[in-house]
Amino acid sequence: MEVFSDFQCPACKTLFLTTNRQLMDNYVSTGKVYLIHRDFPLPMHAYSRVAARYARAAADIGKLEPVEKTLFENQEKWEQTGDVDGTVAAVLPSAEMTKVRALVKGGTLEPLIDRDYQLGQMYRVSSTPTSVFHSKGQTYPYSGVMNYEILRQFLDQLLSQK
Amino acid sequence: MMQSSPWNLRRAVIWIGRLFLGGIFIYAGYSKIFLPNTNFWPFFILKFSITMNISHFADQVAAFKMLPPWGVQFVANTLPFAEIILGLLFLIGWRLRIWAPVLTVIMLGFFGVVLRAYLLHMDINCGCFATPEPIGLRKVLEDAALSVLALLMTVFVFMEARQAHPWTARETTRAQV
Repeated sequence: MEVFSDFQCPACKTLFLTTNRQLMDNYVSTGKVYLIHRDFPLPMHAYSRVAARYARAAADIGKLEPVEKTLFENQEKWEQTGDVDGTVAAVLPSAEMTKVRALVKGGTLEPLIDRDYQLGQMYRVSSTPTSVFHSKGQTYPYSGVMNYEILRQFLDQLLSQK
Repeated sequence: MMQSSPWNLRRAVIWIGRLFLGGIFIYAGYSKIFLPNTNFWPFFILKFSITMNISHFADQVAAFKMLPPWGVQFVANTLPFAEIILGLLFLIGWRLRIWAPVLTVIMLGFFGVVLRAYLLHMDINCGCFATPEPIGLRKVLEDAALSVLALLMTVFVFMEARQAHPWTARETTRAQV
């Protein structure tokens, strides 16, 4: 399951804070579903690409989870001020934050974000969040926030398909 | 002596209103149920797609910040189907004196909601169809035009109902002669 997401999109925040957490606990950690985060920073959002760079840098040092969480939880704050750096720095020790800043400034993350974006375009992603399910050779793209209970029923049926 | 034609202005407006508003309502309902997620097979995929599409519409209704959560769910789960049924009744032309006022009230409601969002400078999508349509002056004017058409049509439906149809009237005259 690939989730094309934008850190500045309110619906992506809802999906992350509600459905995806339960999905992680019940399907991803048990190995039933392989979940991939894809960056799809929409041009209408001024700081979503910056946030994507910080999240990627944090992933490189194994700290994606707290950074992704803080970016979504404090979305309303940093989208007003543009202070993505300060938001991330609040949850990382200074040594790790130094590494993250170096990676962000290094410019190596930009092509990876662009690659995700291009992949999204290939799947005709036009809004975020869009979840693309792959199962038994079939691809099912779905845009919008899904309720966990509905997703659970869908995944159970998808997984039981022969 | 000139005889009145069955194709007067009032009847023309009623026909245009029936076809135009009926068509728009059917498409509006259809798009809310079957778009933007268009995976329809097998059945559980169809069910998930429709649920996702209705949920997508519910998010758009909630963005207007006018209804409590249960109200949002009620509108999201009933409006698309009501739009299709009303649209079909309009196209068929059955009991227009009942359904034309109902559609007019709904249309005026849409206009009021869109106008409110526009005046409050809300940066949201209209939710009228499945495609993203930001609310702007154009959308307000479109809804105003459709509301005027619905209103005119309703008035004309009642006016026409009070008059004998020219064809029937002619037959009556002939019978009297």
